Amino acid sequence: MALLEVRNLRTTFKTEDGTITAVNGLSFSLDAGQTLGIVGESGSGKSVTSLSIMRLIDRPGRIESGEIFFDGRDLLKLRDEEMRHVRGHRIAMIFQDPMTSLNPVLTIGEQIAEVVRLHLGRNHREARETAIEMLRKVRIPSPEKRVDDYPHQFSGGMRQRAMIAMALSCNPQLLIADEPTTALDVTIQAQVLELMNELQRETGAAIILITHDLGVVAETCKDVLVMYGGNMAEYGDAKQIFNEPRMPYTQGLLASLPRLDAPANARLKPIPGQPPNLHRMPPGCAFAPRCTYRLERCDTPVPVTDLGNGHLARCWRCTEALVPVGAAQ
Amino acid sequence: MTDEPLLEVADLKKYFPVNAGVFGRHVADVKAVDGVSFSVRKGETLGLVGESGSGKTTIGRMVLKLLPATSGTIRFEGRDISDISARQTRELRRRMQIIFQDPYGSLNPRMTIGEIVSEPLAIHGIARGKARMERTVELLRLVGLQSSHLNRYPNEFSGGQRQRVGIARALAVEPQFIVCDEPVSALDVSIQAQVLNLLEDLRERLGLTYLFISHDLSVVRHISTRVAVLYLGKIFEIAERSALYEHPLHPYTQALLAAIPVPDPALQGTQKRVLLSGDVPTAIAPPSGCRFHPRCPFAFDRCSVDEPAMREVAVGHSVACHAVENGTIR
Repeated sequence: MALLEVRNLRTTFKTEDGTITAVNGLSFSLDAGQTLGIVGESGSGKSVTSLSIMRLIDRPGRIESGEIFFDGRDLLKLRDEEMRHVRGHRIAMIFQDPMTSLNPVLTIGEQIAEVVRLHLGRNHREARETAIEMLRKVRIPSPEKRVDDYPHQFSGGMRQRAMIAMALSCNPQLLIADEPTTALDVTIQAQVLELMNELQRETGAAIILITHDLGVVAETCKDVLVMYGGNMAEYGDAKQIFNEPRMPYTQGLLASLPRLDAPANARLKPIPGQPPNLHRMPPGCAFAPRCTYRLERCDTPVPVTDLGNGHLARCWRCTEALVPVGAAQ
Repeated sequence: MTDEPLLEVADLKKYFPVNAGVFGRHVADVKAVDGVSFSVRKGETLGLVGESGSGKTTIGRMVLKLLPATSGTIRFEGRDISDISARQTRELRRRMQIIFQDPYGSLNPRMTIGEIVSEPLAIHGIARGKARMERTVELLRLVGLQSSHLNRYPNEFSGGQRQRVGIARALAVEPQFIVCDEPVSALDVSIQAQVLNLLEDLRERLGLTYLFISHDLSVVRHISTRVAVLYLGKIFEIAERSALYEHPLHPYTQALLAAIPVPDPALQGTQKRVLLSGDVPTAIAPPSGCRFHPRCPFAFDRCSVDEPAMREVAVGHSVACHAVENGTIR
């Protein structure tokens, strides 16, 4: 059975200009010990999805409907107190900006120890030892000393590693990492990704890696969920998504990247138009206004097509050999 | 493109003082840029790559005289502009402009798109009245926007469209030279390509010269003619694009290139990965000798003592590295 199963998740936000649907009927699942990459651009709903799983959606946001089964229980039906026990203990989260997600007036050690005391009931001395142990695991040099440092005394890469140490300190079954390396330099990013991979092998935690960087996903994830306009555009294993994408948005995204392995002079092929405005969503396929393969029926709601071997795409035309509409035959 | 340099920078430095104590005693300097020399030829794009703290943005600001240099010379069109007056600086801005990274923070939210784009025309007295309006519309069209956007406000636009407004504003004075400071870093992937293509088209149509600052090596490879790699305020390697990407010599350049994740799972594990250990040191007290030596897999005794000088190893390809000099890396 899947460790996490999200069914028909719908999360909305009330704004002055009306209610927007940030996540619109999303379903996916994740097995224990696996890594799922969620890719999408701003406004695609990828972060709201992770916050919904953690039940961290606050007013004016609201989880309207759906089910989120984690280890057999629907998280959306848990009492707040039960959810607090899941959060940080069974499901942990790492955020993009380690500077704003660490408390600046508490030492790194105190922040890790707090989690351990709260969830595992350790006393002060034990918790401090766990904190040192975790910092050693994420390769902070001389952890016995650095445990008493404040966040500002750590570099960006070290802070993100401290966040990982904190997230993994209670041995969670699921780690949600929301753009964990976006604020880091490439050489530091490579270190952090390597570390996450290694710790996963060691602890067997499942990981949801949310990012806009397709390279990071290709390097770390077994399965990939591509989101657009609040819903799944395409889902499959990394090979299916990167080498045989069936949804025009995924294809366009891959084609628009400047790549180190492409001829340097090749002109980029951008996706025309702008990302969807959540206040004015198209009636059918969210990508239709920017799609070169758009037909009339693309303006009607699109079901998910199962392409076999776990490959899913939300596109009326995903089984065809696509020819741009209006192109010479 | 000609060989005539439009911009020449020699031994440029920028030290930011660090003050401490009640009397604000000067205790140290952040050596943000520590002796950098390069030139940009007319019509080319020089890419400046480096990680955070490498000094790339500071260089861009000094070149435009938005930030005074601590020492060094900057020559633009053959003229030394290091010590020119404020009035001359304003004149200069008609010929050199900047496009900023943040399309949200760099446009005044209380001004309409038309006001933003036409402001430089007013400041420099380039056009007035109806002519100014016509020129503004022309500029909007040039960057792929429409005249119907004139009276709208920045908040009505997406990131990519705002960046187009920023580009139109920079182009208003018909500059020859533009510093592009991370112009696509804040944009979504699908929009990045639109803006990069626009910048390339404009360079060709208007004969522009760019200094293109970015941390993204794939983007820099795509748009640059030549590339300079910065680390802690120093240039480590500078070369034609193909030489730099196909035959990188400096161990830092090699590590930087190897660290980029490639969006193709089939290639996973095929490339060897040089994982750099450690963090980027602080620019207040950079390591002795070569400032990269604590992280360098090729470092030997001399590297912690002597600072390597830039040496030309092939035509147009210069590197500052002892291991390259003694033939360990070739």
